[in-house]
Amino acid sequence: MSTLLVRGVARLILLPTLVTAVAFLVKGYASAGDGFSAGVIAGAAVVLQFLAFGPRELIDRFPVLHYAPWLTFGGLLLGLLTAFVPVLLGDPILTHYPRAGEHVAHVGLLAMHTAVLFDVAVFMVVFGFVVSVLGLIGGIGVEGEGS
Amino acid sequence: MPDALRILMPLLISAVGTGLVTGSGARWPRSAAPLAITTAALAVVATLMMRTGASVDYVWAPQWGLRLNLATDGLAKMYSLLATGVGLLVLIFAAGYIPRHLKHTHSGPERGARFFSLILLFMTAMIGLVMAQDLILIVIFWDLTAITSYYLIGFDHQRSDSRRAALTALLVTIISAIFLIAASALLLNDLGTASAPEILATAQAGRTVTIAGALIAIAALAKSAQAPFHFWLPRAMAAPTPVSAYLHSAAMVAAGVFLLGRMHPLLALSPRLLDALVVVGFSSMAVGGVMALAQPELKRLLAYSTIGQYGYVVVLLGLGEVAAAAVYVLVHALIKSALFLTAGAVTEATGEVRLDHLGGLGRQMPLLAFGGGLAAAGLAALPLTAGFFKDEVFFAGADGRGGIVPFLAVAGAIVTFAYTWRFWSGIFAGPRRATARPIPWLLTAPVVVLGLLVLVFGLVPGIIVYLTREAGSTMAGAPVLLDLQYHLNLHAPNVMALATWTGGLALTTTARFWLPLPRRIALWARHVGPDRAAARLVRGLYLLSRRMHVYEVQTLQQRIGTIFVGAAALVGITIVFAPPWPTFHVGGLPVTDWPLVLFLVLAGLSGVVATRARGRLSLVLALSAVGYSMSAVFSFIGAPDVAIVAVLIETVMTLLLLGVISLLPRDSVQHRTAERERQRRGSWVVGVLAAAFAFIVAWGVLSRPAPDATMAREHLNLAPSAHAADVVTAILADFRGLDTMGEITVIAVALLGTLTLFATRARTERR
Repeated sequence: MSTLLVRGVARLILLPTLVTAVAFLVKGYASAGDGFSAGVIAGAAVVLQFLAFGPRELIDRFPVLHYAPWLTFGGLLLGLLTAFVPVLLGDPILTHYPRAGEHVAHVGLLAMHTAVLFDVAVFMVVFGFVVSVLGLIGGIGVEGEGS
Repeated sequence: MPDALRILMPLLISAVGTGLVTGSGARWPRSAAPLAITTAALAVVATLMMRTGASVDYVWAPQWGLRLNLATDGLAKMYSLLATGVGLLVLIFAAGYIPRHLKHTHSGPERGARFFSLILLFMTAMIGLVMAQDLILIVIFWDLTAITSYYLIGFDHQRSDSRRAALTALLVTIISAIFLIAASALLLNDLGTASAPEILATAQAGRTVTIAGALIAIAALAKSAQAPFHFWLPRAMAAPTPVSAYLHSAAMVAAGVFLLGRMHPLLALSPRLLDALVVVGFSSMAVGGVMALAQPELKRLLAYSTIGQYGYVVVLLGLGEVAAAAVYVLVHALIKSALFLTAGAVTEATGEVRLDHLGGLGRQMPLLAFGGGLAAAGLAALPLTAGFFKDEVFFAGADGRGGIVPFLAVAGAIVTFAYTWRFWSGIFAGPRRATARPIPWLLTAPVVVLGLLVLVFGLVPGIIVYLTREAGSTMAGAPVLLDLQYHLNLHAPNVMALATWTGGLALTTTARFWLPLPRRIALWARHVGPDRAAARLVRGLYLLSRRMHVYEVQTLQQRIGTIFVGAAALVGITIVFAPPWPTFHVGGLPVTDWPLVLFLVLAGLSGVVATRARGRLSLVLALSAVGYSMSAVFSFIGAPDVAIVAVLIETVMTLLLLGVISLLPRDSVQHRTAERERQRRGSWVVGVLAAAFAFIVAWGVLSRPAPDATMAREHLNLAPSAHAADVVTAILADFRGLDTMGEITVIAVALLGTLTLFATRARTERR
């Protein structure tokens, strides 16, 4: 499947896809889209690279993908923090700050709001999951060919 | 909040101690025993200093009305005093017993450390249980005691009878706990609260309350080893002696009658329920008494005695004599723990467990004979011991009811007298049949202390009154009168006591003539008892589950078929027994919805193509065509978020499948063998069945009148105040954030599982 065309297209659309993913994450509070969709889009980008270049070359090009499981568990930790830090402050679980009715600062479309942080956690978990599972499946495939 | 701290002190001490013993015991096993004893001693002091009438109430999940509500009422104080006090003495005994036990069983000292932390955990669960005021909280601690007891009873896990005994105890008490959960749900639904005091204050006599009361009673009776759920208790004798002593007196078994006491005003709303308690209590007295007479083994005799003795308590609760029940529980706890520890010490010294191999040890172990003798005198209800008053209040209660009850009470007491004598005299009196090796004083001292307590409480009955009156008032919901003193006249309880001693003496002196009878009954009961029925049931269920499992894992088709057919069966049962909608009806199809139909047809066609696909690639593409058509449907009915997610998931799934296929060896031609034909036919059946039920469910849901839109509207209104323009995002991250939290946890756990799976596989392949 790794024809020249596929490789070229895959290389071309990697960055735009990731940008789309970030856009989905950031604009989630303004219109359709959220951390989950963003994570799946980013995951799709990596899956496409996998298809085009195969597991070996993909890992060689992006050795950082080795750490994908940590992204998932880090995301879970971040989610737990946003969920339980309010409890330490005496508020109900998963209270988001600023509270309802208070002013929220914006940097462009990005709202300075802890709900966005929670969405980032969801993004990390989902993206990390897709990439890790892909890596695991690919890794086994490579070993299977050798033996 | 120092006040809250003071209320929670015993629980906190015990919980922290559990942690300390666990931590330090793993490092330095020798430190476990002294640490555990110190913890228990501190917990006793904290319990004694407990001010009654205070409570901690923390609402931790307001949506579901869940409260962390602990209070120090009279009932809690009495039971936690028992749990910590008896626990302390049992731990002292264990400090001498466990090292020897480990040597007998060839185990390392770290197992001993585990023992001490488990006993402390048991104590913690017990204190939490008796202080809990919320039914849900009660359930949690209730199950915690059951789980801890599982590990304690199965402490010698190298022995198969230990393991089986532990499992039996766990099954009986955990399954019966489901009744308690059901009762909580009923009451929560009916009265809108799970708080025990509020329930007791607002419940009115009625069908729901009777059913809830009966469910609570079943759970409690199973825990208190009352007939016909009693069989787990004699089996639990496989546990080390300190565990038995604790289990039978102050923990676990006591938890059952505690719950009956805690919910007594609720039970009292239905008189028939109380009458049932009287019947169960007397049956247990009969079973326990007769079997105790027949048992040749020391601990087994005591186990049946416990069944009978808690039968007394259940009778008293059924008669509404709550204060008397409190007296009985307190006195029995002291006596029974002392007798168990006596049995343990004797077995430790002689290596014998059977009564007919023992005898005449009084000379060699005078202190033990003395302490055990005081306790036995108490169990036989001789005057000047606390035991006299346990029977006095029992007789008074029975006399108050009249009819046949007083006679049954005396008969039960006579049997108790007889087996108590058989136990004590069988060990310490008569001709010498065994030689005792010296045993550490740690094994004797707790027995003597308990025996002396039985004596002192009997000489100064005011102590018993002081300890139990408030407990009685808590159970009754109003102050109760409790006056214990010796009356030197012929009022009914005294006459009944005299009758008991006379009958008991007559029975013991003629033991030779009647002893074969209970033995024959015991033999016969082994074949028809509930023990056997329960064992059959468990075995049958196990075989069924095993057969299903074997079928399920053979092929992929069978696995998927099992799930689909199972789900279809469940849906079918729901529809047959509880049709949640009145009728199915066919709606109209407005012109605006025609494009929808187009995509649905497309989805259907793609599905058909998928079943006909030959190669893997065409299969994947056909399946993704189904998914994309469905996403299009979502976007038509105005659910852009769902549509986006559906498209994305479909894309990633397709790409992932393609990626997997690219790693597989070349697509081999599918063999059309006879086997494959048979499987195909099976797939047809499963597919049609699953589709039919999915169709019925979908149709039923769509036939329902338009769903209540208030929730959705509320979310739409709230979204701006959650700083979100997009309501779906606001729901995911804020309104239902906890759900999302749960979902990402599931994803992370799934990844953890996948990682582990692949890691093991890589390891086995390398080998």
